[in-house]
Amino acid sequence: MAARTRLPLLFPKNLPPFRNQRLAHTEAAVKEPAYPPIIPSLTAKSKSARGRQVDEQVQKICASPVEEKLSLITRIQRMKFVVYPQTFARNADTWYQHFTKTAYIPGLPEKYTLSPERETGGEEEQPAAAQTTVPGVGHDGFTEIRSLVTRVILQEHWQLRNRAPFLYRKQEQTVGPFLRNLVTGLTFSLAKYNPLFLSSSLDIDPNVHFYWRRGQTIIPKGHRRGRQEPTRFQIDDRPNSQIRITEQLPQFISLEDSYAAEVQEVTLSPSVMPLFRRQYDNNMFTGAKLPDPACYGHTQFHLVPDRYHRDRMSRLQQSDQVEVFLRANALTSLFAWTGAQAMYQGFWNHEDVTRPFVSQAVITDGKFFSFFCYQLNTVALSVETDANNPRKNLLWGTESLRLYDSVQDGEVVGLNDDVLKLLVQFLMNKQ
Amino acid sequence: MFPETAQCLKAVAPLFSQTVLLKDLSRLSTYGGGSHFQARRHLSISRCLTAKVRPVRTLRERVEIPGLEAVTYGEKMHYVPGLSKPFQPQWERSYKDPGHYRSPPAHEMPLFKDSSCFVFNQRTSALEGVLQALWLTKTKLIPSLPPQLLSLSENPANQIPDQDERVQNAIKHARFWDSTEERPGKERYSNTMMVNLLHLCATLQSSHPAIGRRIQAEKCSLATKWKRGEDLFQIRGQNGLLHTCMDPLPEVSGKQEVSDTADHVLETFYPVSPTINLQKVNVYKEEINCSGFRDDYPYPHAHTLFFLEGADANCKLRPDQFRAKMLMFTFGNALVRAQKLYGPQRVLDRPVTVQAVGTNGRIFQFMVFQLNTTDLSGDEGIKNQVWLDEDVELYDFAKVRPLIKKKQVKVPAGLAGYKPGAFSKFLSLYLHGAV
Repeated sequence: MAARTRLPLLFPKNLPPFRNQRLAHTEAAVKEPAYPPIIPSLTAKSKSARGRQVDEQVQKICASPVEEKLSLITRIQRMKFVVYPQTFARNADTWYQHFTKTAYIPGLPEKYTLSPERETGGEEEQPAAAQTTVPGVGHDGFTEIRSLVTRVILQEHWQLRNRAPFLYRKQEQTVGPFLRNLVTGLTFSLAKYNPLFLSSSLDIDPNVHFYWRRGQTIIPKGHRRGRQEPTRFQIDDRPNSQIRITEQLPQFISLEDSYAAEVQEVTLSPSVMPLFRRQYDNNMFTGAKLPDPACYGHTQFHLVPDRYHRDRMSRLQQSDQVEVFLRANALTSLFAWTGAQAMYQGFWNHEDVTRPFVSQAVITDGKFFSFFCYQLNTVALSVETDANNPRKNLLWGTESLRLYDSVQDGEVVGLNDDVLKLLVQFLMNKQ
Repeated sequence: MFPETAQCLKAVAPLFSQTVLLKDLSRLSTYGGGSHFQARRHLSISRCLTAKVRPVRTLRERVEIPGLEAVTYGEKMHYVPGLSKPFQPQWERSYKDPGHYRSPPAHEMPLFKDSSCFVFNQRTSALEGVLQALWLTKTKLIPSLPPQLLSLSENPANQIPDQDERVQNAIKHARFWDSTEERPGKERYSNTMMVNLLHLCATLQSSHPAIGRRIQAEKCSLATKWKRGEDLFQIRGQNGLLHTCMDPLPEVSGKQEVSDTADHVLETFYPVSPTINLQKVNVYKEEINCSGFRDDYPYPHAHTLFFLEGADANCKLRPDQFRAKMLMFTFGNALVRAQKLYGPQRVLDRPVTVQAVGTNGRIFQFMVFQLNTTDLSGDEGIKNQVWLDEDVELYDFAKVRPLIKKKQVKVPAGLAGYKPGAFSKFLSLYLHGAV
């Protein structure tokens, strides 16, 4: 019986009666662990060892200063997909939304209203004046800006002589200088209303770069065949001009509100888009290196090149892709810019942003203007960190709006005040 | 070696673009070589790069004697030995094909004139530099900027808050922080430097609203003419960056100084002719006076011209020649305006003032030009005036790695030797007319 029931040989007569009762007034003695905690090895050829190596690397990156962080994250070169903001691919915006975990919201945030503001209470004092004012600028300021814009348009298209544009370089040679003139003129006229511009930095033809990982694929061939590998992406962008400021713009909506937004998922591999892979330096760049004091972004201005101009797209029967192209361009450019800004502040894949990063963009082909706002809520896009990440990035955008109809006999015909008002509101965005 | 390389190039030529071909051509040309082959340029659409120049065979002159016409094999439609070759007139296309167009020789062009004209363009490198430009424009040189201009930037109301720090940040941005490479190239950094400094100056628009009455223009073409002695001169070309204003600049020197210039004698450099290095053309438009804009331009008065040394990759000018180019183009802009307002050949009651700034990224040249007279035919009389401040350094060194000699740091890394004087002069030129 003792052998079957596994009782001890010497069966004590009295089992200790109070075994389960602890003495109430004494504390249990804390036993120091005799041995160090059991953690996986660092150098063994096992999955747990690999996991520990990754953890050590992540901790090393978290503990280092920002410059070292950037160089450690971008150190190793591997094959990556190069994402072009201005692309010929069809329905590129759906793909790019999936790569960058961005939800597109048509229209602009409540801050920017296209319709004229009516005063409450039913009073309609001078509705005409209310229509042409922008909050913070005033009627006179707005008329000044209007005349400035008229003169800039006329200068480029009417006044300047002796310029026969080359084939397919008309945008670069005509609209490029027009946009630069417009940006510089508007920035300095609005500097007295928006003090951010007094300490801002204006870049002409800057570089913007960003590198990130999202999703994973199975390696099809080679000595590592069958294993999972993260898909890497790189954006190299060249806006026409951009304004960088020393303070951050306020957020449009809070981080928690972005949980409800929906991002379109694409299950196909990126190379179907088509997107091609190359291996070169992984760069993260906002337009200036780390020591520059103006490290936050305000507005970018992009030019639609001749290749994607709407006239050419209509000749190729792809007029529906015009808006898609603009959205894709804004999405990638702004994601790269805000992502790089976040990186410069020390946020990366495993240390997600604690505050949203906001930037704006205006894309134009000379006549049609589209306005976009972007809020970066998360940089944690890779497989390990995205599993429980409810945050999504947000892009607000408008359709393309016509600024003026044409230039005839030294006059700008049909200048649209609403579009101008929106442009001024965009530039007036401040703390 | 030469025929082999020509052969390789011919084989490979279809793969490269036209610009690369021309670069190779300049490399292959017999500059300092002892080859007896003179490469001839083939600036055509077809791919042949260079060819051995064949000796020109002068065709035997065909003599037409009215009574004795030669019997040709033209009617027989095949060659017959003994009969002469039929005369075939040169075939000309009935339509216009721009790819196969041969321009007529100079004397057959409609704008041909017997008297030649000397043209100064943006790639001219004048041998005598500023002296030549002074003679051509009948100008007196004053070797420093006018004092009332310099006093503009000493006034604290005209200074930018944290001026030194912001200028140094602007320089560092242009020299170090602009791109992902360690050091951006000279062309890029000089351009960025100019843009950054202009951006800094323009932030004063909130306190000086007159700055808002200016606009900038890139790549407008200037063309104007004047007569000097018996020679006709023209200046043509793209200006670089031009700031124009709705209001004219105030004159810098008073009436007394202007009339004193009549005593000044222009310096000649005999035996070198003043027209040296200028392009001599016989085909030109007689009456030409174009500022690059239409007549109803709202900003007609040229305020400042900005010249970059590295703007044209094919044209490297020495400092003296660069200053001469600045002077000539400033003069050209002033002359266009004066001729439009007052007509040619007279002494101006109200002088026209134009400014210019030239830089190579570190060293600046500042210039204020005042056009007192458009009567440039003789050497006597009232002269124009130019105030020129040469070789003003903005900073000494901007090094990415420190200069170490014999284990001692001679020049530290980063920006070294910043001199605030250069930016004050830049600012005073910018604010001139707006204060």
